[in-house]
Amino acid sequence: MSLQARLRDFFSDLQAILSSPRLWPKYLLLALALAAALLPVYWMWTISLKTEVDQFAVPPKWFAFKPTLAHYREAFVERSFGQYLLTSAIVAVLSTLCAIILGTLAAYALARFRLPHKLNARLALWILSTRMFPPIVTAVPLFLLIRDVRLLDTLASLVIVYTAFNLPFVVWMMRGFFNEIPRDLEEAARVDGDSRLGALRRVLLPIVAPGLAATAVFCLIISWNEFLFALTLTQTDAAMTLPVGIAGRVTQYEIKWGVMSAAGVVAMIPILVFALAVQRYLVRGLSLGAVKG
Amino acid sequence: MNVEFKNVTKSFGREVVVDNLTLSTEDGEFVVLLGPSGCGKTTTLRMLAGLEDVSAGDILIGEERINDVPTQQRDIAMVFQSYALYPHMTIAGNIAYPLRVRRTAPDEIKRRVERVAAMLEINNLLARRPRDLSGGERQRVALARAIVRSPRVYLMDEPLSNLDAKLRVQMRGELKRLQHELGTTTVYVTHDQAEAMTLAHRVAVMRGGHLQQFDTPMNIYNRPANRFVAEFVGSPSMNFIEGRVDLGERLFTSGELAIPLSIFQLDLLLEHEGVTLGIRPEHVHVSTAEREGLLPANVYVTELMGNETFVFLRLAGGEKIIARAAAEFRAELETPVWLEFEMDKAAFFDTESGESLS
Repeated sequence: MSLQARLRDFFSDLQAILSSPRLWPKYLLLALALAAALLPVYWMWTISLKTEVDQFAVPPKWFAFKPTLAHYREAFVERSFGQYLLTSAIVAVLSTLCAIILGTLAAYALARFRLPHKLNARLALWILSTRMFPPIVTAVPLFLLIRDVRLLDTLASLVIVYTAFNLPFVVWMMRGFFNEIPRDLEEAARVDGDSRLGALRRVLLPIVAPGLAATAVFCLIISWNEFLFALTLTQTDAAMTLPVGIAGRVTQYEIKWGVMSAAGVVAMIPILVFALAVQRYLVRGLSLGAVKG
Repeated sequence: MNVEFKNVTKSFGREVVVDNLTLSTEDGEFVVLLGPSGCGKTTTLRMLAGLEDVSAGDILIGEERINDVPTQQRDIAMVFQSYALYPHMTIAGNIAYPLRVRRTAPDEIKRRVERVAAMLEINNLLARRPRDLSGGERQRVALARAIVRSPRVYLMDEPLSNLDAKLRVQMRGELKRLQHELGTTTVYVTHDQAEAMTLAHRVAVMRGGHLQQFDTPMNIYNRPANRFVAEFVGSPSMNFIEGRVDLGERLFTSGELAIPLSIFQLDLLLEHEGVTLGIRPEHVHVSTAEREGLLPANVYVTELMGNETFVFLRLAGGEKIIARAAAEFRAELETPVWLEFEMDKAAFFDTESGESLS
């Protein structure tokens, strides 16, 4: 749909709402919720473009200010935010890949093999239980473990921890998707001469692909935004991720609002683009199995 | 190639699903495993496919013991009740799959896919996907995928049961023709006795994990090994009348009912206490005129089938039996009629064990 058509639709909808007072309370609430969600983002964006004088102007300057890219230059040219961005990307992509590969195989095993002593259900619950306590509980033990294997302040430590953290989520999501697929399909594949892994690759995975994509996007977002472990396990620019880097601009002496906002805006973009691109699959993936297809 | 089950047993936990099954097919034979749900026929087929482990005994294809051979190396093809078409592949992709996993050359794949597609008249569907096809078309694709290569054995698990009645009869005929042309040993599972009778060279009737009888359709129908087989095969079902043998009068008696027996029949029955007479509906002749030696009965209800009439009758002792009569047969409900049993076609069973005595 063209932008023009979209706008036309928007205004005709708006007119319809305004002309029937019955709908006002509902849309007022929606507007408030939208504002609560989007205003901080908008404010961050404006701050990243304002001079320091404008940032603290009273009354606040919502629209009329002289934009500047100085904060972006400071963050990505003078300071190391470019490197934080790269670190975040590497860690998020690698940990998502690891979690998806390991988790999918584990989910397949749980969904398809009949283990003795009701181990299928018990293992699944045990895996889920690792997500039942707040992550901070594990922060100190993990720090000690990572220190002892001399991986502090490395990308590897973050990849390992994020993989471990995302695994239960992947296992449970993928187990659900696999359970939805009739066993007949892979039995047919095996009778047709394919191995178990071949059937998984050629028959099962293509069918659950939307679900797999949705799961991967969630892992990416979680890893990208993660702050707690990144803060405890990294110390220098060598392995610092973007969230930690941003928070680090709050110092004893000054708070670099402009730089933080500029980095924040940039940190948002990949996730936004990604979520928009796979939005269709996200909805389909999460509702996979709701309707037999 | 021939298939052989040697004392094969399958149990899930304590539940024995297939009990000491011994059965051996000829090369190129069409064998139907027939029985009600839960009789172990599907489990037997799945053991042959390698989709279930064998608890005890041996399964052989040709001379090779295949108990421990993984499914994908058994060189078999199977048609599933659900068809199990791969939803993300085109029809051509589905049919080509068994060749693709065997790394057949692409032009060879193309040639063979087109040949079976032509054989099953689905060449115009090759670019479509399974969800765009009707049930009958999916069935053909499932068959095509099975016959695109030449496996040692075809396995079919109720392949026709999801089709509507008319299509089922049509596909049944085509399946028989196809198997004849391919000449490959086929093991076919069904609960539909009509399918078993029409398709099979030999039928294996199963019940509760036990093989009841393994014989040609003719013998299954005419010489059932026990009351279960007699009752399961044939529609409408065989009539049973429980009674005893009167040696002095040479009669089979059941309450008021008394039917004379031949010397030959007496000889078979004399050792047995309780005897059940089995007579198929087509061997019960209904007449509206009274005649000496005929059995009196009342018409309970009649069902005109078009080409014949099923007459449901009540004997003097209250036993209900069914007779097949000509389409022209007409009788009001509760009319008195007279029956003649073709006793040389009758079967006898031991009432206690159900085993055939004839």
